[in-house]
Amino acid sequence: MIRVENLSKIYRPDTLPVVALNGVTVSIAAGEYAAIMGPSGSGKSTFMNILGCLDKPTSGSYWLDGEEISRVSAEDLALIRNAKIGFVFQNFNLLPRMTALRNVELPMLYAGISKIQRHEQAREALEKVGMQDRLDHRPAELSGGQNQRVAIARSLVNRPKILLADEPTGNLDSRTSEEIMFIFSQLHQEGTTIVLVTHEYDIARHSQRIIHFYDGAIAREEQPFSSAAKKPEGGHNQ
Amino acid sequence: MNIGESIMVALDSIRSNLFRSALTTLGIVIGIAAVIAVVAIGQGGRATVIGEMEKIGSNLFAVYIDWRSDQPRTGDEFTLKDMEAIKEQIPEIKYLSPSAYAYDQVRGGKNTKAVQIMGVSSDYAPMRNLTMKEGRFFSSTDEQGRRRLAAIDEGLAEELFSQRSAIGEQIVVAGTSLTIVGVVKQEGSIFSMGGSQYVYMPIRVWMDIFPWNYISQMEGTTHNREDVQAATGKVVTILERRHQGTEYMSETLDQQMEIVGNITGIMTMIIGAIAGISLLVGGIGVMNIMLVSVTERTREIGLRMALGARRKDILTQFLIEATVLCLIGGIIGMTLGVGGAYLIAKLAHWPPLVSWTTMLLAFVFSALIGILFGLLPANKASRLDPIEALRRD
Repeated sequence: MIRVENLSKIYRPDTLPVVALNGVTVSIAAGEYAAIMGPSGSGKSTFMNILGCLDKPTSGSYWLDGEEISRVSAEDLALIRNAKIGFVFQNFNLLPRMTALRNVELPMLYAGISKIQRHEQAREALEKVGMQDRLDHRPAELSGGQNQRVAIARSLVNRPKILLADEPTGNLDSRTSEEIMFIFSQLHQEGTTIVLVTHEYDIARHSQRIIHFYDGAIAREEQPFSSAAKKPEGGHNQ
Repeated sequence: MNIGESIMVALDSIRSNLFRSALTTLGIVIGIAAVIAVVAIGQGGRATVIGEMEKIGSNLFAVYIDWRSDQPRTGDEFTLKDMEAIKEQIPEIKYLSPSAYAYDQVRGGKNTKAVQIMGVSSDYAPMRNLTMKEGRFFSSTDEQGRRRLAAIDEGLAEELFSQRSAIGEQIVVAGTSLTIVGVVKQEGSIFSMGGSQYVYMPIRVWMDIFPWNYISQMEGTTHNREDVQAATGKVVTILERRHQGTEYMSETLDQQMEIVGNITGIMTMIIGAIAGISLLVGGIGVMNIMLVSVTERTREIGLRMALGARRKDILTQFLIEATVLCLIGGIIGMTLGVGGAYLIAKLAHWPPLVSWTTMLLAFVFSALIGILFGLLPANKASRLDPIEALRRD
């Protein structure tokens, strides 16, 4: 699903070069659930931005779903983000004036999906995360955990190839974090490819595979021992 | 994202900052209202003036001697024989009358008043569309027989004879007694606010009473409006042939109407341009607030980009927001402008002329202002880097 080869990212290459990524090579298979850990400044955010097609590497290649996208135009990157990537952010990033339903509809707006179908799919996605009773609530009327559920519903609604979660539990208490991680595990079991950034081992252990970043490169990998981590079952691989 | 969605998003954002949006759009409201009101009032005034002139008769012409010129006046520049010759030679002419003026005292009943005494032919009444309140105007037979008859204006009749009917009463002008046969109805007109107070009498009688005075001009109408210019030219030619060495001038109401139309048009344009400047100022206000909005909503823009919005989607969204803001202002301004135009028209007693063209133009113009002044903020929004934008709070 994801293949990255010798990926480098250098900020301000002309004046004050800062090497954020230095020759990263890694593959993540369809249906896999990977966690990325590392101290701040280790390049994990830059890596996620490139995986999320929000940023382009300075050199190296990135294949997503069989497509080389390090040379794709900004216009097409937007289309790829819309169709193939679901984002979950630490601070939820829900639009405060919109209801949960309309927030979840947002990605479909840019996919040109009809209003009726948007409603239908948004409702389904919210049901999946257990928010079917809060369709008309605005973010301010919901708890942090509920907001993150809405945000997860939004990330799923266009049926993306991969789900990128950047510190999804960073703003949540431990009990709510567990609930959110349970949703991720469920999604994983249904066959969704998930890449998750965290600095908490308790969160990372829910994944199948932990990739440790240090100084812009992959330092090591490990397989956590956890009841939640299961190997993807063949039938779900796409 | 389609246009309908964009408009919904725009309305949403305007609603959430209602007070600020209202203040911003005020400039557009005032600008559009001013433009519409000024144009409507200008056109209404012009239509009134031209309407009045048409009431007098748009195929009216006058031939006269330039009173500023140095040529010596002999007093016989216009004779009754000239009239006959002209009527005979130019069949396009329908009515022709001399107009001779004398300012003198008129005594009637127990009252005396100084007024204009006019010597005219019997053609004068139909030519100037005079209508009679009572009685009749004098006829050509009266004129041929030099009968000492007169018609007077309604206002004068009231002053001389108050409530009594003036018909059959005697008036005395310069020692000559005349019998009133008709009272001319006063038409409300912007040209004669107080109402004219004329005495009309057959030209031959007038010449008997004021032998030292002379006919100052000749007025006439043609059967068809198209013939006015040519017929007037022929009248001048005939007169100049009959009176060697005298220069005549002519004027048609058509020409005057054109001048009035031009003047009001220019006035409307100047005031309209000034009002247009306030639109410009309003546009800058919209641009300012849109720039603020882009800064405030940087995170939202970043999020939309992450979720798949292309640069052009963001550009369109903010352009539409600016346009919707201006259009709302434009519609409110249009309502106020039309209302203002109606109010002023009512006070000034002329028709409120708000043309669909003006309305459409105002609508299109306010949309254009939105697009024009929305372009800079929208462009700024669309060029944001999604990563930077998402990091902002």
